[in-house]
Amino acid sequence: MKRHHWIVRVTHWVNVVALAIMVGSGLRIFNAYPAFARRGDTFCCYPFAHKAIPSWLTFGGWLAGARNWHFAAMWVLVLNGLVYLAFIYLHGEWRDLVPRRGDVRDSWEMFKFYAFARRDHPRQGKHNALQRATYFALPVVGIVSVITGLAIWKPVQLGLLTDLLGGYVWARYWHFLAMVLLVVLAVGHVFMVFAVDPYSLTSMITGNYDERLSPEERNARPFYHLLPPHRATKATAPGDTTQ
Amino acid sequence: MRAAERWNEKIERALFRHRSMDYGTAVLAGAAYPKYFVSDRVPVWNEAERGPWSLEVTGLVDNPIRLSLAELQSLPSVTQRVNHYCVEGWTAVVEYTGVRVSELARRVGMKREAQYVDFASFDSDYHESWDLASALHPQTLVAYGLDGHLLGPGHGAPARLHSPIKLGYKCTKYLTRVAFMAERNGGYWSDRGYEWYAGT
Repeated sequence: MKRHHWIVRVTHWVNVVALAIMVGSGLRIFNAYPAFARRGDTFCCYPFAHKAIPSWLTFGGWLAGARNWHFAAMWVLVLNGLVYLAFIYLHGEWRDLVPRRGDVRDSWEMFKFYAFARRDHPRQGKHNALQRATYFALPVVGIVSVITGLAIWKPVQLGLLTDLLGGYVWARYWHFLAMVLLVVLAVGHVFMVFAVDPYSLTSMITGNYDERLSPEERNARPFYHLLPPHRATKATAPGDTTQ
Repeated sequence: MRAAERWNEKIERALFRHRSMDYGTAVLAGAAYPKYFVSDRVPVWNEAERGPWSLEVTGLVDNPIRLSLAELQSLPSVTQRVNHYCVEGWTAVVEYTGVRVSELARRVGMKREAQYVDFASFDSDYHESWDLASALHPQTLVAYGLDGHLLGPGHGAPARLHSPIKLGYKCTKYLTRVAFMAERNGGYWSDRGYEWYAGT
């Protein structure tokens, strides 16, 4: 039994590429006017106005190049996202991801475990509550970034949408915040993959996952018990009962 | 990316509505409204060298005309407070006074074959061509007044094109020629990698 269906694996990696292009080119576009205020007006809520994003974080070279990449890759992002959402809806995987009762308590248990306030890894199914929250939030924030993106792409023809979001300046701000949230979630996700469950990387490529290497079996916290558990048992002398 | 731009233009044209209007908010940008041009210095029409400024309205029309500034100002005018959407991401609230391009098209008797309109300037070789529908939008003006004053040299005097339905670079400043055409002929920034349609 594969842990991830091939459609999930393909859309995951297409999403990595599309999102990287969207974020990089978006930051290059932002650098053409790294502020939110209307000309001759002020804006309350962005403390870094007129400070450019470091160019190594940007993609597309110049404004027109970045815009061309942005307006091409947006279709990859949207279509790929639709394929993914349609698949997990039709195939039932959405049940592993939507919030459920007890998530707050389960998240608290995970926090306690990571903070060494609890000894054993909570067993919460295919994904723990923190993972579920992340994997649910990512598509939701993705949808928000698409909607806010449409509002600043067509602020006149889709003026109703732009007005709903508080006008062009605010829509542009929500678009930026959605990007920040996506990046934070993605960075957190990648960190946890490498620090807690690097074996899951295989499952997102081939689909195979060895349950004996799961964080639950290894009792793994970030950078703790990264190695497979059987090595630990091998290293222990037979008859040693202290463990 | 070229294919994506063509696909996007199809969608943008399908989304386009003449009824979609843009309205600026209370706070005018005023002096904070940036002044862009492509020449080395602010382009100013030199009367001694070139004679009095005039606007040529020509191309696929029955009666091409050449308007002096006074003649342009005597045509039915519109004053509108709208946003200026710049490709860089900023907006500015501006109040332009001018004559609708649709009014000019009516006066010269635009022919049915016209599908595109080119707006050319005396600022180096600056020009941008538009799709006809956008050019005939009621908020697309040949403007000679800004915020209640005559247009200054920094903003395209004596007359410029302005509309909230296209990005700023499509709105040719220092305008001298409006030509109705059957085919598009690109534009200054459109030929340098920026998208040609650039609608808002």
